[in-house]
Amino acid sequence: MIRLTIDGQEITVPEGTMIVDAAAKLGVDVPIYCYHQALGPLGACRMCLVEVEKMPKLATACTTAVSEGMVVRSKGPAVDKGRRGVLEFLLINHPLDCPVCDKGGECYLQDYTFEYGPGGGRFQEPKIQKVKDGPINEFVLVDQERCVLCQRCVRFMGEYVGEGQLLLEGRGVETVVTTVDQVPATSQFTGNVIDLCPVGALLSAPYHHKGRPWNIEREESVCPHCPVGCTSKVTAREGHVIRMEGRPIPDREWGWLCDRGRFGYDFGYHPERLLASRVQGNETSAALATRQVGEWLKTTVEQHGGSSVGVIVGGMHTTEEAYQLKRFATEVIGTEKLAISRSEAGYLPRALNGTFEDIKKADTVLLLGTDPYDAVPVVHLKLRERLLRYPALKVIGIGPTALTRDTLPGQDVITAPEQSAVVMALAMATQRPDDAQVKTLIHDLGSFRPQGVLPEMLTQLGAQLLRADHLVCLWDGLEPAMGMVLAVLADLREKPTPMLPTFGPGNWRGWERGGFSAHFEDLTRILEEARDGVIKTLLVFGADLLEEYPDRSLVQAAFERLDHVVVEGLRPPVDSTQVDALLPGAGWAEVYGTYINMEARLQVAMASVQPPGQARPVKTYLNTWAHILGRPLNWEEDWDPFDDDSGDLLPIETRHVEIEPLTTPPTTDAGMTLVIGSLIWEKGEPSEILLPRVPEFPGRINPQEAEELGLGTEPGRISVSQGDTHLVVGVSLDSRIPVGVLWIPQGVLGVNRLGKGPVQLSLAKEEVTA
Amino acid sequence: MTQHYLLRNLDVEGIDRIDVYEANGGYAAMKEAFKTFKPEELVAMVKKSGLRGRGGAGFPTGMKWGFLPNDGRSRYLVVNSDEAEPGTFKDRELIEENPHQLIEGIIISSYATQASEAYIYCRGEFRRGAEQLKRAVQEAYDHGYLGANILGTGFSLELKVYRGAGAYICGEESALLESLEGKRGNPRLKPPFPAVAGLYGGPTVVNNVETICNLPPLVTYGADWYTSMGTEKSPGLKIMSVSGRVQRPGNYEIPLGTPLRSLIEDYAGGLLPGRTVKAVIPGGSSVPLLMPDQLDTPLDYESIVKAGSMLGSGGCIVLDDQVCMVGATARLVKFYREESCGKCTPCREGTYWMTDVLDRLEMGMGEAHDMEILADVADNIAGKCFCPLGDASLGVLVSALKHFRHEFEAHVAEHTCPMGARLYDTVNH
Repeated sequence: MIRLTIDGQEITVPEGTMIVDAAAKLGVDVPIYCYHQALGPLGACRMCLVEVEKMPKLATACTTAVSEGMVVRSKGPAVDKGRRGVLEFLLINHPLDCPVCDKGGECYLQDYTFEYGPGGGRFQEPKIQKVKDGPINEFVLVDQERCVLCQRCVRFMGEYVGEGQLLLEGRGVETVVTTVDQVPATSQFTGNVIDLCPVGALLSAPYHHKGRPWNIEREESVCPHCPVGCTSKVTAREGHVIRMEGRPIPDREWGWLCDRGRFGYDFGYHPERLLASRVQGNETSAALATRQVGEWLKTTVEQHGGSSVGVIVGGMHTTEEAYQLKRFATEVIGTEKLAISRSEAGYLPRALNGTFEDIKKADTVLLLGTDPYDAVPVVHLKLRERLLRYPALKVIGIGPTALTRDTLPGQDVITAPEQSAVVMALAMATQRPDDAQVKTLIHDLGSFRPQGVLPEMLTQLGAQLLRADHLVCLWDGLEPAMGMVLAVLADLREKPTPMLPTFGPGNWRGWERGGFSAHFEDLTRILEEARDGVIKTLLVFGADLLEEYPDRSLVQAAFERLDHVVVEGLRPPVDSTQVDALLPGAGWAEVYGTYINMEARLQVAMASVQPPGQARPVKTYLNTWAHILGRPLNWEEDWDPFDDDSGDLLPIETRHVEIEPLTTPPTTDAGMTLVIGSLIWEKGEPSEILLPRVPEFPGRINPQEAEELGLGTEPGRISVSQGDTHLVVGVSLDSRIPVGVLWIPQGVLGVNRLGKGPVQLSLAKEEVTA
Repeated sequence: MTQHYLLRNLDVEGIDRIDVYEANGGYAAMKEAFKTFKPEELVAMVKKSGLRGRGGAGFPTGMKWGFLPNDGRSRYLVVNSDEAEPGTFKDRELIEENPHQLIEGIIISSYATQASEAYIYCRGEFRRGAEQLKRAVQEAYDHGYLGANILGTGFSLELKVYRGAGAYICGEESALLESLEGKRGNPRLKPPFPAVAGLYGGPTVVNNVETICNLPPLVTYGADWYTSMGTEKSPGLKIMSVSGRVQRPGNYEIPLGTPLRSLIEDYAGGLLPGRTVKAVIPGGSSVPLLMPDQLDTPLDYESIVKAGSMLGSGGCIVLDDQVCMVGATARLVKFYREESCGKCTPCREGTYWMTDVLDRLEMGMGEAHDMEILADVADNIAGKCFCPLGDASLGVLVSALKHFRHEFEAHVAEHTCPMGARLYDTVNH
């Protein structure tokens, strides 16, 4: 530790700390543009000049590390003149168009000029003219005249994200920030440069000229689109959500968002948004529709008992809403048939769940079927940061496609589809063949050898799994048996084995906390009972079961058999022919509530705006129905999902994972196998802002396969057939996909019409669209 | 006049060919170095000789080599041939006319520092120089002086010539390394210094062409010979590039400590008849002016600093009584405005501002307070930039404002250049 004095106050900080950070700890404001803790020192803007005793010149606080006994002065005539000079320089070529600048009112150039700058300008020469409102891509605009060339954006994209799509062009006073070859930036993280930009040079295109700090309201929120649950801020103006920003949390989150989350905030205003109630396809008033559903529930309960009603939750509902639904179901209806809409069959017990703090300590990262860049993008950034701080980080991908990538290099163990759990178990058996749990796992496998994985690879993998000091596992939840394997792995290892489930829906842990079952089998059981006529009325809150459940035919059969299918949500299901009543729901940013992310961390999202049209909160519906059923609910007793002892993390429960022998996977014949993946652009609610970036060709195949299909080297549409089922899907070429595999992300419409097993591919005819 | 060493043999026909170079004693020093010296003995010899970096900063070369950490990582030698300082043209002559001398120096230096890879970073505009070097490097490879196991010594060296893209800032060693790595030529944060984390993060020595060319004669004649010339703290020989209003401009190799007057009159033939010295820029465009009463200043690092200027890269520009100091200053500051990399604010914006004000002043459109603005802008640049380029832009300006303020005032008062300089060629270049 180093002791130093800043403005007469003494402070002790770790060695290597920069003066600027030490000053911040004392509450001494040192103005900065180029410095950012996540990016490290650069020393470009020269704004942070301070006086250090025994140094002949002013020093930049962001590049000068503290030393023992150092005496720093952040004020005084020399410092004032230095800062005034730098600000005057920054302003000579600045357009001073603050009155029409989105950043006006929250701009560091304005703030520092006000605080440290000259009162007037002496510059009377012509200003350099540059591009204004030029595109970085569909979401980000660049005003090169306002740019102070702090390079935060360029360094973020190049060094931090690892996708160097922004660069400085030209030199000297003609230097500008632009994209490589003027091609729009395609990274998933471009929007962060808007938050990073200290001035009005990088602007949000959808927010452009929409609001300024004094006529907007900002509320703290949580991004609802995926299980990462990035901390964010929602900007609203006149009851309309018009922007989303990252929300840094000291020592935990930098406030990064992916573009899908940052710009996908307009789903509440999508043309498909459900604004009026519909009963049997006809629009009706909210009161009539609610009463009608209440009557159905009453009749069902009276005639068949409470357990003839099932409740399924999905979408973006909060933890509190799930709890309200659970109370309604158990206390008013009298049913325990509660399940979460799931697309993946896997489940991870809370006890095995790690946090993002574990990534900051990891020496080995295991990607089980999941490519964080595609599935949970901001986790990819967290891994990138770990890689930058700890270049020896080992990344191992295990799954039917390659999962590492240029920005997160490592080693890929490519297994046959559905064989990852077996590969993991066999790898563990190479190290601990005598462990009882391992023996149970591999008991039925006999002499089975996984396809394409050599014995020495298993040994090497097993050694890495057991020897890593801090192993973090990310799991896509597609192979349910992996849950058992991971439980055994955690038992075998003496050192920490935190796991992060990357599967959705975003708030599944929250609904589980509220009293719903997150186990896939329970969802399946409800659907089977509906198909078999045991369940008569199904309440679906927020989910589009036909599209989300992996086996579409089961949902179809259940819906056909059910007396009443009631669906509440932000938008109608894609196919609502079997839906008896559609009830418009209030959603994210319209209700206050708690979301629980993949770390099992509870985070509160505030309500910013009123729900539009007839859309109303869950509680409103429940109250009406409870009255009709004659058992009004008493909400006075407030329920808090937070636990007193575990703070903002869910309490850790003891885990019981039954270890059963893994079944021998069927040997797949040569041919094409469908692998379902996860892509953030295909998840969540539709957004008009995102439209230009939603991939036209979301599927992926190996270039060699494309060649044989006659696609050539360009992305194109192919027809996927399985028996009588045909699906046309756009595919792009990706050498990370092995030959013989067609990768399609969840959420591509109709993909759950296809089951497991082989598929046939052919070139789609031109006029056919998906 | 003393004997030339680095500039010797330039009149020998075909000295740029390896056979002619060898016939004139070339590569003997290299063989001598391999045969007689251990690497650490060579480092000790360079330390003892007191050889100082000839690129401008004058940092002791042996000390620089001594900073290399002994941690087993492979080392790089990078030769800075990005000579772009206005008034300096010594390295250009060395590489264009006698490239093998540099290559021999590189081999000796690499052997001394145990570098296994060496690069010559050649200024983008030095097309002929780069061609000469590439051809000469190939000849050296063909003769077994480069590559694996040179002359059976077990020492291996790969040498590559890399052409810059025409940026003065890449003469700054860390910007040079960035550029050499294929990145934008912006200076790096120091520490770490190149000796610890240089090219591709490896330990790296960056030396100027002239510095490296000193190695063959140093090996041949020894450190004592070197210290017998020059002054105590600035031993040895220095090539001075003389330009401006002299009769015989060119490169002259002088023992350090030679008076400036002797360089101008004895070596460069003096001024044109009837002219008098108005001011001299002794060490390239980045250094303050010396006035006529300082012509007896000895040309060594310490004496020039005492006189208020710097020896720098040895580019001596002589200005006579017919030169408009406002115009000359405007021209030089404009160079820095064009060459500022844009990384840090004071240099990027300050050089732009000063250039515009100077242009206006030169054209007679200046105002009385412009000199105060120039002085204050200069003060806001001084000592506040990321790298030395910003300060370099002030050398001539600040001393011109001090010594020739009357010329600036005359431009304002008369609304034109009193020297009758052509005005139109200063606009919008």
